[in-house]
Amino acid sequence: MAIDFKETAARHKQYLLTGVSYAVPFIACGGILIAVSLAFAPPGPNGAPDPSGSEILSLIEKIGASAFSLMFPVLGGFIAYAMASRPGLVPGFIGGAIASMPQTLPDGKTANAGFLGAIFAGLLAGHVVNLIKKAPIPVIFKPIMPILIIPIFGALLVGSVMFVVNLPIAKTMVGLGDMLKQMEGQSQYLLAAILGAMIAFDMGGPVNKAAFFFGASMIEQGNFRIMGAVAIAICTPPLGLGLATLLRRKLWNDDQRNAGKAALGMGMIGITEGAIPFAAADPIRVLPCIMAGSITGAVIGMAAQVGDHAPHGGPIVLPVVDNRWWYVFAIVVGTLVTAISINALKAVGQKKENEAQPAPAA
Amino acid sequence: MKFVAVTGCPTGIAHTYMAAEQLEKTARELGHEIQVETQGAMGIENELSAAAIAGADAVILAADIAIEGADRFDGKTKIEVPVQTAIKEAGSIFARAGAVK
Repeated sequence: MAIDFKETAARHKQYLLTGVSYAVPFIACGGILIAVSLAFAPPGPNGAPDPSGSEILSLIEKIGASAFSLMFPVLGGFIAYAMASRPGLVPGFIGGAIASMPQTLPDGKTANAGFLGAIFAGLLAGHVVNLIKKAPIPVIFKPIMPILIIPIFGALLVGSVMFVVNLPIAKTMVGLGDMLKQMEGQSQYLLAAILGAMIAFDMGGPVNKAAFFFGASMIEQGNFRIMGAVAIAICTPPLGLGLATLLRRKLWNDDQRNAGKAALGMGMIGITEGAIPFAAADPIRVLPCIMAGSITGAVIGMAAQVGDHAPHGGPIVLPVVDNRWWYVFAIVVGTLVTAISINALKAVGQKKENEAQPAPAA
Repeated sequence: MKFVAVTGCPTGIAHTYMAAEQLEKTARELGHEIQVETQGAMGIENELSAAAIAGADAVILAADIAIEGADRFDGKTKIEVPVQTAIKEAGSIFARAGAVK
């Protein structure tokens, strides 16, 4: 039996995206609540905002942190669910939970296997459960398969593997971070440019989330500048496209102008997904324009040493940002780059279409 | 012809519904009957009934995610495409349906 590689790859992409689709609301909820709690908090001893002095703020922060702590289990659980249906949930969730456990590294620092670990756990759990399902089972055991056998043995298998690979994956994540921290001068801008491009590339998909999780994990390690660059890149795609529909209304139809208003709102609260309706309709023109805007914004932010203390992006996190004026400036420039370039490309495109069909039928 | 369809995208707030709209519009234009179930961020909406599935000539699955309840369509003629295809060239999907019938 030959395995069709392309087909297998496409299936696995579906599995990953299913997991991401369930994890996104947790990430948005947790990120925004944490950002809000930090936004109103007074500076603590080390200068970073500290919500622990206020009961309401620390409550909001704890609720947000709870949502955030569920995101890796949900990611792992629903990747496995996509592959193996309901029996995949238990091992997938457990694998994701293990991926979010802090690991103590040789140098005493702690880190978790995070995003990479949860994806690995979900895929592993899906395959393991599908294998167990195929095992020849005496009829008498059939009823206890989904509620006892698969959850217990699936969890034992996936959990054991996760405890083995957890530390190496966590080390890899930290090693990457250390390498990036040491980047000075040119390579630091290259990093900002790459992260900016990744954020805009799929507007909330796996590539975007990989860049986001990298920035968020750097916050835990005390480096706020990576998230600063990411936070700028997150909001310029929807803001830029929304602004474009306001700048030259004739280039856009009614639906797009409405989507533009929604995109502006989503951009303000740091939801890159607001750009999706535009990119879906016209990816060849829209993607380069939003990537250009995000790259520009991220590089400006990196150059101006903008830092973001919350794992979220967009103007909503302004209160927890270092070098606020530069943050705003970077967002404005990135937004303008996207808005102006997309309108220019659209204008050229429409002119060409009109020339090709001198007498439009409808 | 009679169709049932399911659409779904990773974020579940835009593509899913745009694909559903395009499929409905295109089916109308081509004179087909269609019912579209959406699996978006709001969960399953406009869920297909067993009778609707049984009465359909073909099933269109336009999704980038693994859809819920895929086993409902076992034994039916299935056309599986990425959600983008339904948004940009829904006509080609119905053309394929005509060919595979």
